[in-house]
Amino acid sequence: MQTPILKMQHITKEFTGVKALKDANLDLYAGEVHALVGENGAGKSTLMKILTGIHQKNGGTIEFMGKPLHLKSPKEAQDMGIIIVHQELNMMNHLSVAENIFIGREEKKLGFWLDDKSINQKTAELFQKLGISISPTETIGNLTVGKQQMVEIAKAISYHAKIIIFDEPTAALTETEINELFCMIADLKKKGVGMIYISHRMDEIERITDRVTVMRDGEYIGTVNTKDTTKDEIINMMVGRVIYEDPKTQSTVSDDAETVLQVNNLTMYPHVKNASFSLKKGEILGFAGLMGAGRTELARAIFGADKPDSGTVFIHGKRAEISSPMDAVANGIGYLSEDRKRYGVAVDLSVSENSVMPSLKKFSSLGFVNSAAIHKVSSEYCEKLKTKTPSVHQLVRNLSGGNQQKVVIAKWLIQNSEILIFDEPTRGIDVGAKSEIYTLMNELAQMGKSIIMISSELTEVLRMSDRIIVMCEGRITGELDIKDANQEEIMKLATKRESAG
Amino acid sequence: MNDIIENIKTKGMQKFIALGALIVLYIAFSVFGTNFFTVDTLVSIFDASYYIGFLAIGVTFVIITGGIDLSIGTVMMCSAIVGGTLYNNAGLPLWLCLIIIILVGGIFGLGNGIMVSRLKLPPFIATLGTMMVASGVGSIVSNVQSTTFPMRSAADGWYKDIFRTADNFPTGIFVLIAFTVVAVILLNKTVIGRYTFAIGSNKEATRLSGVNVQKWETVVYVLSGLFAGLAGIAYAATYTTILPGAGQGFELQAIAGVVVGGTSLSGGVGSIIGTFIGVFIMSVLKIGLPYVDLQPHYQTLITGIVVIGAVLLDIYRSKKEKSVKQKS
Amino acid sequence: MRKTKLIASLLALWTVIAVLTGCGGTTTSQKSVEVIAKGFQHDFWKAVKKGADQAGKDLGVKINFVGPEGEGAIAAQVEMINNAINKKPDAICIAALDTTASLDAVNKAKANNIPVIGFDSGVPGAPEGTIYANASTDNYKAGELAAQKMFEAIQGKLSSGKPRIGVVSQEANSQSISMRTQGFLDKMENLIKSTGKTVSIIGHTKFANGVSGGDVTIDIAIPPEINDTQGQTSAQTLLNKNDLIAIYGSNEFAAKAIINADAAISGGRIGNDKVVAVGFDSGALQIDAIRNRKFLGSVTQDPISIGYRAVELAVKAMNGEASDDIDTGSQWYTADNIDSDTIKPLLYQ
Repeated sequence: MQTPILKMQHITKEFTGVKALKDANLDLYAGEVHALVGENGAGKSTLMKILTGIHQKNGGTIEFMGKPLHLKSPKEAQDMGIIIVHQELNMMNHLSVAENIFIGREEKKLGFWLDDKSINQKTAELFQKLGISISPTETIGNLTVGKQQMVEIAKAISYHAKIIIFDEPTAALTETEINELFCMIADLKKKGVGMIYISHRMDEIERITDRVTVMRDGEYIGTVNTKDTTKDEIINMMVGRVIYEDPKTQSTVSDDAETVLQVNNLTMYPHVKNASFSLKKGEILGFAGLMGAGRTELARAIFGADKPDSGTVFIHGKRAEISSPMDAVANGIGYLSEDRKRYGVAVDLSVSENSVMPSLKKFSSLGFVNSAAIHKVSSEYCEKLKTKTPSVHQLVRNLSGGNQQKVVIAKWLIQNSEILIFDEPTRGIDVGAKSEIYTLMNELAQMGKSIIMISSELTEVLRMSDRIIVMCEGRITGELDIKDANQEEIMKLATKRESAG
Repeated sequence: MNDIIENIKTKGMQKFIALGALIVLYIAFSVFGTNFFTVDTLVSIFDASYYIGFLAIGVTFVIITGGIDLSIGTVMMCSAIVGGTLYNNAGLPLWLCLIIIILVGGIFGLGNGIMVSRLKLPPFIATLGTMMVASGVGSIVSNVQSTTFPMRSAADGWYKDIFRTADNFPTGIFVLIAFTVVAVILLNKTVIGRYTFAIGSNKEATRLSGVNVQKWETVVYVLSGLFAGLAGIAYAATYTTILPGAGQGFELQAIAGVVVGGTSLSGGVGSIIGTFIGVFIMSVLKIGLPYVDLQPHYQTLITGIVVIGAVLLDIYRSKKEKSVKQKS
Repeated sequence: MRKTKLIASLLALWTVIAVLTGCGGTTTSQKSVEVIAKGFQHDFWKAVKKGADQAGKDLGVKINFVGPEGEGAIAAQVEMINNAINKKPDAICIAALDTTASLDAVNKAKANNIPVIGFDSGVPGAPEGTIYANASTDNYKAGELAAQKMFEAIQGKLSSGKPRIGVVSQEANSQSISMRTQGFLDKMENLIKSTGKTVSIIGHTKFANGVSGGDVTIDIAIPPEINDTQGQTSAQTLLNKNDLIAIYGSNEFAAKAIINADAAISGGRIGNDKVVAVGFDSGALQIDAIRNRKFLGSVTQDPISIGYRAVELAVKAMNGEASDDIDTGSQWYTADNIDSDTIKPLLYQ
């Protein structure tokens, strides 16, 4: 057997007191696609940042092409041919495609004079070789996310990459784009490029990777051959225990339950097109679809955060005019953003301050806030929701993702919201805390709250929802009762594009 | 292919609007202002544009990187004071003093660059500090006295010819155009310009692409300082005496010109030609409004409205452009 | 933690020093006078300082002469006045940038029993008894002087057509500049009326007289901002009017604006045989223009005397003597007497 081109052994990394990596190992062969999996916070990203020179390791060894490797900067890694395709695309949006590809190594005359003709030509040649049809002079910001990613991959290849790291490459891609990406990966494989593939999508891992390395809590757990293993086995390695994510089989909502929310023909071009649906009391309504399907935009429009072009909203059968989040809150709607840190909580305020943010009016008179009452109610909800915090005065910044989410839930419960919109409720939350959130959501539904749950994790949708609405490219492409729903059916609807269907 | 045509259309449109506004303004003042349409008035418009123009061109680079340089106004005055004091008190030859003026501007720019790129100070704070430092240095160097440059009749009066000859020919406009061309080339044809846009577009991505962001960010602030020095020469040539402690407010006029010219304060977008036009729009307003017999406070008010209007127009335009893109 | 300690100890040290130096101040027997000028930019204030320092030497008092960096810095000046009061000097001399803004400070000085002397424009409008006395140019009279001299030069031109006389005024808020403008306007209006002609004063609402279509028009331009570009533009708007026969600039800034604007016009408009220009104060550019006979002449105050007299008044005040306001006088100078012994010491470059 050949020797690996990359060998990372016993890597440790500490960030001011926090051990991000305790003992991480990874090896990679030329022409191999190697999956790197683990829960959020398992240390995958940190390991990759060390490999690409963004962070420096505290301990351990890296061997690259048989020689020890000591990287000090991203540039050094690039020059060695170690390239990362970032999850959040790292592009200079205002520059052209060719300018992006050749940033930092422009073709120059006299040392500073740019030769754009030459880089445009080289880009065109590169694209031709890779079968990409994008104009080198187009501004990157005008391309779709998928196209941008291709440019980023082309950029990696143009560095004569020996190792390419893909960090969740398919998260924002459409089905066709994913297929194109996989073709490209297969091609690179033939050329002997070693690839590290970070993903949460087990089906993709099964489809394109040769081996899988699993990490947990900053430690190396093990490496297995993809074809000798099963999805469950990998998940077991990831979480360290067996968890069951059995789908719900039967809706828990009775047929005669009251309709609390009715949305008719809501359009917010180009994100949402003519969406109509209803939500019943005590129901968990799952919204499935790929990234960019318009689910978050629809939720924001209902919540009054963005202004729709047309459409009507009825609450308890009465027409509701919602033109700002303030109106929405007054109508009993609460929104739990997918991006908690940006939109959900004020991280530099305390748990209690966050908890009463929408309902501060209730806890104040003549402009003076009643601290005792706030303390009481926020402590009460911390207890009810089992929020793990030393005190309600703790800053939200210091809580874990799951506990931050509980603070957001508390916030809306204190406000006495009837309709809760959960946007990606478990994103960035580890497996243990996840099931707590699920339990909580079920309890809320039993209490009579109505829940809209937007989720990109099919298992989550199938486990939680009473009914599932699927969106694609801004349109609602289908509605499934939980007993008829399965992954394949949802995916079919989620990729049912206008032109195709 | 259609994309490209669309692109040219929208991008060209913006400059066309600014240029159109400039022409309309000039014609309007010519029609409604008494004696506005004369060569002398045009020369005055040029006079008022030289120093603001240099300031604006320099700061355009900084603004495209997503930064800001508030120090240029007082740095301009301080550089001129240093040069003038050296001329009057140390007896250095004038040509050397003029070079020193530009260099002093560059040194302040270097200070800004180091503070922003290496010490990671927010540009607003760093350059606000430099604004005050430069004002103070000017007062100290001049011993809080006004600095008088040689008058035209004096032996060293030749430097005034750089911007206006004795028989009132506006040589300065060619100097300004020459430096505008240099700046256009720097921004669009050289590595400096490429990294200026890249940093403004996505600083972290630029860094991760292996670009020495610290170095180039510093270069951009130095450039802004050098142009402020150049503006100092233009100011001295036009107004002869320089008062210490003055200069605050000119940076905002320059930034207003940049913004009116379509450069985005959030970085990544901008053009030197736009700035050039923007500066002239501001100058035509400044010179033209008194000619239509408006009271001073109305002049300030109208100038403010124009700045706000220009930025609103720009926001509206880029929004529209985006939605057109997404629909197509 | 260590940092806070460091800062705390620095603060403590600073307090100790402040207390020590404060004590040191009171133990010396020499009386002290705080002088707060309007600024340092114009050389005018240098001459005032010269006079004040001389008086300090002659009369044996300690002079502390301060001023804000620019003449727009009203708030900064008020702070300086407050600081001066806190130092508990024996007297304070003030040339207020904005009289209303300084009133609180003046009252505070009175409450602390510190006599306040006004100089230059002083603190007009201050309540009875708060200001001990003023040492200042009678600006109204000085404006009249400028009008008188200009009238003598243009008398012959008034009958041809409907002539225009331009006035450039730095601003309309400062008392001293307004008075110079007002004195000029009133005198000029009366002089012209005495020849049987009517006068319209236009351009700025504060000075306009509401007469339209007079035989002679006096046109006042005030720049929207006090900077060289705006000043020059205002002057140039006047110079571009074909019927202009004379122009007056009521301080150094305004005179400079006229000179710079004229330089930007091909061939130039001002000169003793063309548009008659009259200025105020001095400065390098203005002196040059007078020597070259571009300006007919200018009115100069006596800044050295202002400074000297102010300190003199301060000493009188601390000794408990009574005194009236002092007019420090103004002089007319032209190319012919600019180098004479009476004028030369009053001018500054």
